[in-house]
This record gives sequence, C-alpha cells and structure tokens, in this order.
Amino acid sequence: MPMVLLKCDKDIPEREKHIYLKAPNEDTREFLPIANAATIPGTLSERGCAFCGAKLVIGGVLKDTIQMIHGPLGCAYDTWHTKRYPTDNDHFNMKYVWSTDMKESHIVFGGEKRLEQSIHEAFDEMPGIKRMIVYTTCPTALIGDDIRAVVRKVMNERPDVDIFTVECPGFAGVSQSKGHHVLNIGWINDKVATMEKEITSEYTMNFIGDFNIQGDTQLLQTYWDRLGIQVIAHFTGNGTYDDLRCMQQAQLNVVNCARSSGYIANELKKRYGIPRLDIDSWGFNYMAEGIRKICAFFGIEEKGEALIAEEYARWKPKLDWYKARLKGKKMAIWTGGPRLWHWTKSVEDDLGVQVVAMSSKFGHEEDFEKVIARGQEGTYYIDDGNELEFFEILELVKPDVIFTGPRVGELIKKLHIPYVNGHAYHNGPYMGFEGFVNLARDMYNAVHNPIRHLAAIDIRDENPAELPEKIREAA
Amino acid sequence: MTTCEAETPAPHAAEVKLIARERAGIINPMYDCQPAGAQYAGIGIRDCIPLVHGGQGCTMFVRLLFAQHFKENFDVASTSLHEDSAVFGGVKRIEEGVMVLARRYPGLRVIPIITTCSTEVIGDDIEGTIKNCQKALKAEFPEREIHLVPVHTPSFKGSHVSGYAECVNSVIQAIARKSAPSGKLNLFPGWVNPGDVVLLKHYLKEMDIEGTIFMDTEDFDSPMLPTKEIDTHGCTTVEDLRDSANAIASVSLARYEGDAAAKFLKNEFEVPFHPVDTPYGIQNTDKLLRELSRVTGKPIPDSLVRERGIALDAMADLAHMFFANKQVAIFGHPDLVLGLADFCLELEMEPVLLLIGDDKGSQYKKDARIKALKTKAHFDMEIVHNADLWELEKRIKAGLRLDLIMGHSKGRYVAIDANVPMVRVGFPTFDRAGCYRHPAMGYKGAMELAETCANALFAHMEYTRNKEWILNTW
Amino acid sequence: MMEDKLDDLYGYVQERCLWQFFSRSWDRQENIDGVLGQAEAILSGNPPARGTPMEKLFYVDARTMVDDFRARFPWIRESSPEEVKQLMDGLKSRLVETVITKSTNRELKHHLY
Repeated sequence: MPMVLLKCDKDIPEREKHIYLKAPNEDTREFLPIANAATIPGTLSERGCAFCGAKLVIGGVLKDTIQMIHGPLGCAYDTWHTKRYPTDNDHFNMKYVWSTDMKESHIVFGGEKRLEQSIHEAFDEMPGIKRMIVYTTCPTALIGDDIRAVVRKVMNERPDVDIFTVECPGFAGVSQSKGHHVLNIGWINDKVATMEKEITSEYTMNFIGDFNIQGDTQLLQTYWDRLGIQVIAHFTGNGTYDDLRCMQQAQLNVVNCARSSGYIANELKKRYGIPRLDIDSWGFNYMAEGIRKICAFFGIEEKGEALIAEEYARWKPKLDWYKARLKGKKMAIWTGGPRLWHWTKSVEDDLGVQVVAMSSKFGHEEDFEKVIARGQEGTYYIDDGNELEFFEILELVKPDVIFTGPRVGELIKKLHIPYVNGHAYHNGPYMGFEGFVNLARDMYNAVHNPIRHLAAIDIRDENPAELPEKIREAA
Repeated sequence: MTTCEAETPAPHAAEVKLIARERAGIINPMYDCQPAGAQYAGIGIRDCIPLVHGGQGCTMFVRLLFAQHFKENFDVASTSLHEDSAVFGGVKRIEEGVMVLARRYPGLRVIPIITTCSTEVIGDDIEGTIKNCQKALKAEFPEREIHLVPVHTPSFKGSHVSGYAECVNSVIQAIARKSAPSGKLNLFPGWVNPGDVVLLKHYLKEMDIEGTIFMDTEDFDSPMLPTKEIDTHGCTTVEDLRDSANAIASVSLARYEGDAAAKFLKNEFEVPFHPVDTPYGIQNTDKLLRELSRVTGKPIPDSLVRERGIALDAMADLAHMFFANKQVAIFGHPDLVLGLADFCLELEMEPVLLLIGDDKGSQYKKDARIKALKTKAHFDMEIVHNADLWELEKRIKAGLRLDLIMGHSKGRYVAIDANVPMVRVGFPTFDRAGCYRHPAMGYKGAMELAETCANALFAHMEYTRNKEWILNTW
Repeated sequence: MMEDKLDDLYGYVQERCLWQFFSRSWDRQENIDGVLGQAEAILSGNPPARGTPMEKLFYVDARTMVDDFRARFPWIRESSPEEVKQLMDGLKSRLVETVITKSTNRELKHHLY
C-alpha cells in the first residue's frame, strides 16, 4: 500500500491520498498524490494565499514597477522584506511596497476613490516611476471594487503611465498557485504585444520562470550575453514592465519554473506560435543540457559547447570536491513544488546526495508526475505537508540536511538538523554552474556545522560523545 | 557685532507639532494588520494554538515574521478560507479547524479564533460557531476543557498594535474568573520582547512581589537541547489568565497595548488599574518602580538603586560627550516611540521626528506623554501619526538632518540609503542578531540601548572617517 | 529483447525529459509525436526537418535524447531503421499510456491553460 497514512493523520485520513512512498516497479499511473486541493483547516499547513502568488512571487520582482495593493495595510506589509530578489537598479523592488490602507469606511462605502487617490499619490511621490501593478485583496474583492475602471480613468488622466491589474484575492484557489495563474493569464491578455522593442540579435528568447533569487537571473544572463542571445523579457527576475510587454517578439520561450509561469509560455505558443522549451537551470548536467538545447535551436552549437567547456573547467573541480564529501548524505526538500523535481536528480547526479523526502506546498499533480518519475524509490512524496507530518517523516527518513524555508529551519534546528534556505537560498545564486557550486558549498557547510554536534552532547554524561577532531576541511 | 553673535539664532519657543499623514495611501507600512498582532498575543499563551479565520496568507506570513524576528518557530493554524466560504460563509471551516486541532494536539487548552478582514466582511458568526464547537468538543472530549476565544480583528481597523491589545483583552475576558484573592500583581507590559519580560520578572523578584506578566514570552528564547525537546512556547497559562481577576492590582505599562485588558479587569472584577508610563529610560523606570512599591507596599531594594546607578554611570560617559545635540528620528509602536523620546532627552539627544501609530488620531491628541513632550522639548519636534515609513524617507530626501534613526528592521533601507546610523529597536528586528534577547525597558535596557546607540555612532564615524580619531583616547 | 530495450528508453525519458509532462494532454501528445518523430529520423540517418519553429524545438529535444541514447545504450547504434521505428512506436505508446491515457492528473483535459 504505497500511499501512506501517517500516525499523526489518523484523525484526518484523507491525507493518505497526498503522501506517497515510492516502491519498486511502480509509476504514476498507479499512484499519484492528489495535489492542488483544498487544505484541511487547522492542520498547520505551509501554504500561503493566491494574492502572494501574484504579488510576492511574480509581479513584485519587477524592478521599475509600483506595487499598489488595494486593501488593508497587512497584505502590503507581509509581502515586503520576505524575498531575496535583488535588481541591477539598487533593488527598488525590495525597498518599497504600497497599500491603499483600506479602513472600515471604505469597506462600507467602497474603496474606489481611495484607490484612485493612492495611485495618483504614488506616481506623484516618485515621479521617475511610470509603471504600476494594482492588486485586489480579500476585502476589496468581497465588496466588489471595480479596480479596472479606476485604472482606466487614471490612465486616461496620465498618458505617460501604464498600469496592470491583478484581480486575485487571497481566498482564491487553494494556494499561492492560483495567483501565479491569474497574473500569467492577465498579463498575456492585457499587456503582451502592447509594445515592441529593438531587436539587437538574430537570436531572441524569453527566459520564463526565474525570479533572480540572489542573482540567478543575472548569473544566467552572463551566459546569454556570451552566446549572443538577446533576452527579450525575463519573466520576471530583474525584469522590467515594458520588456514583458514585448514577449511576442521572441523566437523561443525557455521555461525554468513551469509551475509559476508555464501558463504564459503555453499562451505564447498558442497565440504567437513561439515554441516552449522547458529546462532545469539548477545542476551542472541539467544546465549544460539546457544550454545545448537552446544553442541547437539557434544553430550555434559550437558557441554553446565552448561556453560549457569553459564553465566546466572553471567550476567542475570545485563541484567534485564537494561531491566527494557529500556523497551518501540524505537530503529532504520541503519547498513550493518545482524545486522538488528540479533538484532531486541534480543533487543525486552532481553531488551524490540522496533525496529521501519531499514536500510541496503548491505543486500540482503535474509536478508530482515529474518528481516521482525522477525521484528515488523509498522516498516520500508529500503534497501540502503539515507540521506533525514533518516530524513523523523526519523520524522515518532521518535526513542530514533539509532545504526549506526559514521558519521550518528554526523548528528543525531544535532536532539538530541543519537547514539550507530552499526558497531564498543561504548564499546564492544557486542556478547555473557557479550557482550549483554555491549550493554544494552551503550544503557542505550546513552538514559540517559543529554546533549541531555540540547540541547532542549532554554535559552531565560521564562519557560524552566525542566530536571528531576535525569536523570540516578547507574548501 | 562679532561673527559669533551674528550666527546665534534668535531664541524662539520650540514647537512640538502633532500631525497626521496627509496621503491616503501608504508607502512602506510601519505596522502589520490587526490579525498579526492578535497572533503575537496568542502565541504568548501556553498550550495554545491560535486559529486564524481567513486566507492562508494571513497566517503563513505572520508565522514567517515571527520566525524572522525570534529565529524560532511558532504554531498558528488557519481555517484556509476559499471562494466557497466567501460566498456561503466560512463557519464550517472554523468548526473543522477546531476539531482537527483538538484531535491532533491532545495538550491544547486554548484556541483564540482570530478574524480577518475577509471573514469580518463576510460576517461569519464567531460567537455562535464557538457554541457549536463547544458542544462538539464536549461530546468528543468530555474530560477536556478547551477555551475557544473569539478575537475580532478586522484588518481594516487599527493595526497590529491594536490587534495585540484586542487579543489580550479577549482572552482575559473569556478566561478570567473571580475566586479567592491571589495576592499577585497583574503586569501588562504591552508588545515587548522576551528580554523585557525577563527584566520585569527580575524587578518583581528583587521587590519580592508575586506577579504575572501578560503575556509571558520568556521562553520564546528557547534552547537546543540534547534531548531534542522543542521548548518554544508562551508561558502564560490558563490558570494565570483565570486568576487575573483575583489580583491585588493591574499595572499597565502601555496605553495602546496593555490598558484595555487591565481596564476590563477593573470594570468587571474591581481589580485596581494603575497605568504607568512605558518604562523606557531612567525616569519612566523610576515611575514604574515607585508605582510597584506604592501598590504593593514593598520597598525598592538597594539592588535596584545599584542597577539604576550602574546605568547612569554608563550613560553619563556618553551623554554630553557623544549624544548632545544629535538629531534622532524614532518610529514604531506608539508606546515604544514615546518612551524612547524620553530616553533620548535624558541623553541630551534631540528626537526631532517621531513616527507613530495607526488610525487612533483622537487618542494621540489626548495622550499625556505627547502633551508632556511639548513642555520638555527644547527643539522643534514633529510627531506624525498614522505614519508610514515614506514620511521618514521623504523628509530625509527634503533635507532633514539626522544623526541617528531608531526603529525596526522594516525601515532599514531608509537608513542604508541615507547613510544614517540606525539602531534596531521594537518589532521586528530581523536584520540584527539577538535583539529580542535584550531588554529595552528598565535601567538595564536604557543602558544597553544607549551603548548600542553609541557603538552605532562610533562605527559610523569610522566608516565615514568622520573624526574617528576622537575615539583614539576615549 | 525488444521489451528490455524499451524499458531502457522509457526509463530514460521518464527520468530526463520535461516535454512529456506539459500541462495539457494535447501538448503532451504533440511533444511525444514531435520529439520521437525527430528522434526516429536522426536514429535512422534521415535529415530531421528544421523549417518551422516547432520542428526546430522537437529537433533540439530529440537530438539531446538521441545523444544520450547512443551514449547509454550502445545497442541503439546497431539498430536498423525498421527496428528504430519499432522502438519509437513502442516508446510512444508507453509514454502516451503513462502521461496521457492512464495519467490520473486531473488537469490534463482542462480546455484552458
């Protein structure tokens, strides 16, 4: 019986459909966890809301755009200072957040005037900024404020500004995934092909589903520059609003995060005939494969091989140093969804690390098809895992390190298990060749942290466990 | 006429202005919303998991915020509100959430049910639902008593400051019960750090006073143990909450964060209510200790006179040498900011800009501490209420000269971009290590905060090569 | 014998290829047909079509896969065009069964993205 009912779930037996333990000779035809389904109230799930999927994950990454959140101040406060996505213009996107600061009277009488005033103020206060995304939130959606009408009015009055609306209250859908979807589809409907940019290369592509976490986008951009490929738009790492209006101009869509951004790649294929190429940007083997495919598409294979050879020469010895020392370590991945399937095989192939448990907050069944096809037997695959389940799984698999968020990281610290930030990274970037060495280094440093060994010692013991004389080596 | 005389400004009466943010919208909020504050109060209770009735983000982000600040995990549950609830009401999800929590957490004794903007707009009947839940709990767990506390915290009123006060008050209202006098003192410190709680407990002990702190967050600073026990939890028990009705008095240290519950205990159970100024700085701490002594009849012991002296001794080294005439901006919770303004004045600093508060404008106008600042200040001071952090940033961009900023981490980029040294104080302070462990209240808090301010100025002198050689001989 | 070879190829594709897992059944079908069609051409020594953007896309995915097939499964280099066709047809039907007809993914048939 490979679907698993954990002991802690005896009172919520429907959780059995969400947890799978892979056994030999099985595949996803027989066993696929139910995913993207409503969370059971009170389970201490890890999930966020649809609004955050739109604002925090995708829209808020843009480096030149005011993020106007129409609602009470909390939705703005909470989606600010919770990400590490720098930009090459001094991180405008991480410094500011805007709220219409809805109060009770606006709930009673409607908040449209408030929104209109706040939009004007925001542009007036920062005259250099001409682009904006307006988001609804739970209460403004419930009272039915017509934010599109307000935005039309403002755009008529201010011809030099452009504003995009995202109508995605927090209660929509079952997780942040709904917000990814709403923003993707809204953008293709409202903004793609409303602008054209200068084409500077015979090779053009959009890079979709990479949010410049600790500089991922900027690192990969050095590859595209060396290959002479023009990136029309980054969706949305280090990206600009206007570049994203030109996505129709690209010859190829390269997709990294298919979960958050596959929708727009699908629509670009459907509407503009632009092919969608999915790649993995984490891991040596995968990154090289992705570059080979992109270069083959453009017929510049030699350039691609030269770049890969250069990068391998520079970084592979460092990776192998870590691989020799991480081989056989057990890792758990508790993140959003796609990193499960991006990472499970890359850490195995490139670092010799075994992934023993994975939990996805907002992945869909498609993500579980991918990760179960790639992942190992004897590994747990969990949809929307909750806190008690995590404790029980930890007892079952005993990982050496967990890639997860900081809050869970603080929790497992007490169990003497080190964590590496699987969302925002410890010291990234983690994409590309250099990035995967960073990931390996952070994993090595986590696993070899002396503190957790010290934590296991009870000073009252007559014969306390000895720490190895040398815990770690010079990298 | 000498040049010197020509440059001496004409004496004028210092002006202290209380003004509101004029813009409708907020750019960079100083506070989170009410449910966030309610969750902060809720995690201070032992054997308690708050259940937030709203979208999942209302819980997930707040748990992350607490983890950022304390570098600890706290358990808060969500009813995971979705579209169907928005249309048909979400009370079923509360019922399910309560039962799931009760079944999976056998030690659970308190579940504050915290509303949000969405569920207040929908108008879910929380009190009625709680009655239904209690019936279901009685049937399934006849031997257990689980307190379900309605906490109404729509996000479109107040802020996390008022949400905190609302939750403390709601929990006291729901659980406090009159019985035999306890001989204990209730202490409502407001939204403070574990370091402050430890300090207040120390004062009670030194003065031989039996007291209870609402909420006792000392164990938010929790250890890594050989046994791998997870010992991160609030320390205020159901018994503490119940017995709050039987105290000799309530001393509240925070107008906007502590008074509500203390006033309730006075009105409902005739527990005498003693508000004192929030004990930041020496004089405000003096007032607290005198009030504690007056209320309990216990003398202030030599040990605290000595602690006071040690703080003064340290602060004397810094005040007129380094702090005098330094212009400071302070932002954060109103009780904190107003207390820190007094702290600055004691050190000869000039808090020229105070940013406080949410939509409580009329209350601020009546605040005795603001009135007092009008007589105490010898320089022009602006107090902006309903403020956001753009109020600070745009004043700096317009030329306001600041030597120091005191506030929480959400304002970090204002200081970084303006190249003004900043001392982290209040909530949240995620971009500095260990802030939550140190008191800001009391003599020790004043001393350590003064030293942190001085060290921030010193480091700034060095990095900007601004008379760093002064410290060659200090 | 053929089944063993198919096991190898199927195992490889399941583990390595994201194109089989696009969001909707028609995209999966299109990718399976497109990539395996190009692979068949390459493995049979015929020039793969590279005229349209989609043909180019299927070519790059097929080429990577074929390179790996040749590196991992040396027997494929000896396969005749007839055998290649048989292998690709067999692989196609296995993939279609796993990721389309017998997939329990509830979103595969949604008419919108």
